[in-house]
Amino acid sequence: MNRATRIAVIVAMAIAVLAPIGLVVYQSFLDGPFFQPKISFTLSAYEFVLDDEDFFDALYNSCIIAFGMTAIAVPVGALLAFLMTRTDLPGRRWIEPVILVPMFVSSVVLAFGFVVSLGPAGFVTLWFKGVFGYVPWYLYSKWMLIVIAGLTHVPHIFLYTSSALRSLGSDVEEAARMTGAGPLRTAMTVSLPMVMPNILYSAVLVFFLGFELFGLPLVLGDPEGILVLATYLYKLTNKLGTPSYQLMAVVVVAIICIALPLVALQRFLLRAANRYVSVKGKAAAQKPVSIGVWRWPAAAMITAWLLFTVVVPLSGLVLRAFVSSWGEGVNLLDVLTLAHFRELMEFPNLTRGIVNTLLIASVGGALSVGVYTVLNLAAHRWPSGWTRLMDYLVLLPRAMPGLVAGLAIFWVFLFTPFLAPLRQTMIAIWVAYTLVWLAYGMRLVSGALLQIGPELEEAGRIVGASPGRVSRDLTIPLIKVGLFSSWLLIFVTFMREYSTGVYLLAPGTEVIGSLLVSLWGTGAVDLVTALSTVNIAMIGGGLLLMSLFGKRSHG
Amino acid sequence: MAKLIIDDLHLSYGSTEILKGITATFAQGEIVALLGRSGSGKTTLLRSIAGLEEPKKGVISIGDQPVFDAAAGLNVPSEKRGLGLVFQSYALWPHKTVFENVAYGLRLRNVPKADLQQRVATVLDGVGLGHLGDRYPHQMSGGQQQRVALARALVYNPPVILLDEPLSNLDAKLREEARIWIRNLIKRMNLTAVFVTHDQIEAMAIADRIVLLDGGRIVQAGTPEQLYTEPVSLFASEFMGVNNQILSRVQDKRGGYARIDLSGHPLWGKDRAGKSVSDEATGVIRLEQVEVVDGEGENRVPAELETSVYLGSHWEHVFRCGDQTLRAFGRPLAAGTHWLHLPPEQLWVF
Repeated sequence: MNRATRIAVIVAMAIAVLAPIGLVVYQSFLDGPFFQPKISFTLSAYEFVLDDEDFFDALYNSCIIAFGMTAIAVPVGALLAFLMTRTDLPGRRWIEPVILVPMFVSSVVLAFGFVVSLGPAGFVTLWFKGVFGYVPWYLYSKWMLIVIAGLTHVPHIFLYTSSALRSLGSDVEEAARMTGAGPLRTAMTVSLPMVMPNILYSAVLVFFLGFELFGLPLVLGDPEGILVLATYLYKLTNKLGTPSYQLMAVVVVAIICIALPLVALQRFLLRAANRYVSVKGKAAAQKPVSIGVWRWPAAAMITAWLLFTVVVPLSGLVLRAFVSSWGEGVNLLDVLTLAHFRELMEFPNLTRGIVNTLLIASVGGALSVGVYTVLNLAAHRWPSGWTRLMDYLVLLPRAMPGLVAGLAIFWVFLFTPFLAPLRQTMIAIWVAYTLVWLAYGMRLVSGALLQIGPELEEAGRIVGASPGRVSRDLTIPLIKVGLFSSWLLIFVTFMREYSTGVYLLAPGTEVIGSLLVSLWGTGAVDLVTALSTVNIAMIGGGLLLMSLFGKRSHG
Repeated sequence: MAKLIIDDLHLSYGSTEILKGITATFAQGEIVALLGRSGSGKTTLLRSIAGLEEPKKGVISIGDQPVFDAAAGLNVPSEKRGLGLVFQSYALWPHKTVFENVAYGLRLRNVPKADLQQRVATVLDGVGLGHLGDRYPHQMSGGQQQRVALARALVYNPPVILLDEPLSNLDAKLREEARIWIRNLIKRMNLTAVFVTHDQIEAMAIADRIVLLDGGRIVQAGTPEQLYTEPVSLFASEFMGVNNQILSRVQDKRGGYARIDLSGHPLWGKDRAGKSVSDEATGVIRLEQVEVVDGEGENRVPAELETSVYLGSHWEHVFRCGDQTLRAFGRPLAAGTHWLHLPPEQLWVF
């Protein structure tokens, strides 16, 4: 790419990122929706929200939940990572892929699963009651919400910690053993401090995700009226009857103001985290540490965690989708049925939602990877102020939870005359998805680009290829495999996305995620579980594809 | 005729100056080695010629055409300079076959298909790989990859070919063969070549002329013989060969010679740095110039044999004379004191 094209691409991205945020900030200072003819600037929206007790309740709850779930997820995730990568734990090979499942299933689907299994009338609850005569838990309490949020975010900690532990050569541990430290002492004084920056980074990430939480509190907090910031925003839509855009804008501004420093902190910590990994020792074959009889309690702990966060909710959800009724004294085998799926097919908007989801994930995902590639190429090997600007711009959408970004994009399509006709098409959804996952997708593609040495491209320039030809003939063919695996990850990500489409939901723009959220509101549990099952199956298909591809490209 | 001219080239990364004014001329058909330690700026100079680095001051011309002129704001991009470059890592494109790697430069020049086939075949034959065009780079040995990299740089007849440490990734045996082979190939094709190396043996074996760099400046330029036998500085003498060093003060000066002192024994040597009497000075003599002789005489010192090392073709002896160590090559020696002759014309005083 030449300089002019690079700058044009970066400016285009700046507009796409800044327009939604700018519009939200502008809206927050108005006294009515921005499209009304007579509007004036005022601070009244801020006054209203800052006077609202519910807002502070939600803010308080968000804080408590974010802290609580971090406190749970970090020790469990770090321990899990250590056990899986460094010890002779039995069954490591088959546990590993299952650990990441909660990351790939949308949290709203997981939440339905918890309701169906552990709710007051859930399968597990009824079974437990039948055996022991009482139920020691109440699903809709704040504590339960924190525990569930914490345990379902263990994979994030696990992922970052285990990859850091893997890239740490075992020679540094062997050196500690040689100088006389036992296995536990080695873990505490050598391995743990060396991966500490990575754990810290993932802890901030989970804390940040705690503030973004939408699906879990929407489903699990609703019965007791527990609001968090995102659900407060969602409820605000219906609260005053008329669309109170200015109030929503204020809440969005508040969420961005909290999220932005956290995003900046993550960026800072990521740099610190890479410091140790880059001075790693030789990553030779790692010899697992024997932990003796402790393997059995460790295995039991992992099994219990998997049972609670993966097996119970997902199996409950799938089971619920295939039965017509359940309760005390009902033999489940007698009530098996496909009726819910048949019913699903009778609603044109639901079938359209399934098709749309497949389309947005496959075609839309491919287009998004294309966009991320073009953006990456615009900054590729070009040290300048423009690329630094781009680095910071990428972080902005990261500070907008899906729900918020969807709302902002909805407004942009409402506000911009030439975009208005596209508002109720999948294009609006695609723009929102691409923007929400910008930072993630950019990192996937840049990871692939980092793999190729600069001299491969310089060699192209030397033999006479223009920068454009180098990108076309050399760079892109060289990262083809990386682009394909990026697409698979984006495919699964778009498949499970539920919050971004909520405000964009209209005839023609249905996707499974946003349909689930709106169907849950109407209480159509049969349809919700059937649709969730379809979603899980689709994600499962994507993951299967991913592991097949992973095997092929490694073999 | 000058093929490549570099005039007062300066380059910095941020506040670090890498090249501090390089001026050099490269003649048609000449093979020139840019020799220096790591960090001397030799690779940066090569990359500046290639157009991969942007100097902040100076002029680079190929033929009589300037390709870089900081004052005029001229910086012809790499692909328009038409040079050939062999990378240290070879940088072969892993997704293209050997044939396609070599053919790419011709395709970019819109060479007709039949002609292209023929030219690629010719150049691959020239490097001895005519039968391996269908292979992928990873299916080849390091030595073969290096030949492909060379073929890729030669196929479109560049006016100047640049080589960045071309032999550093080969094992020792292969490297010795490759030196001769590369020199023959470049001479046969009558090309102008500039190559970077940190190995003075390699530079002397391949190059017609050596440009010795240190700290971003040219220390000395000349034929390999000139650099080896008439180094202009202590650094140049140390870099080009294996030396004895005698630390002393200048005692006396007479007719282009200076007298230094080795543990009480006077030694005359060529005055190469114009030091004054009683200045600190270093006497330098190549190991192979030190002779073991029978008895006393002019420029001779007695020394105790400390140890001897057998090196196959000869022995290396380590002597002690007072507080200084002297090394010499020769035949096996008995223990005890020996007389060493340090010829005045071979002893340089810096």
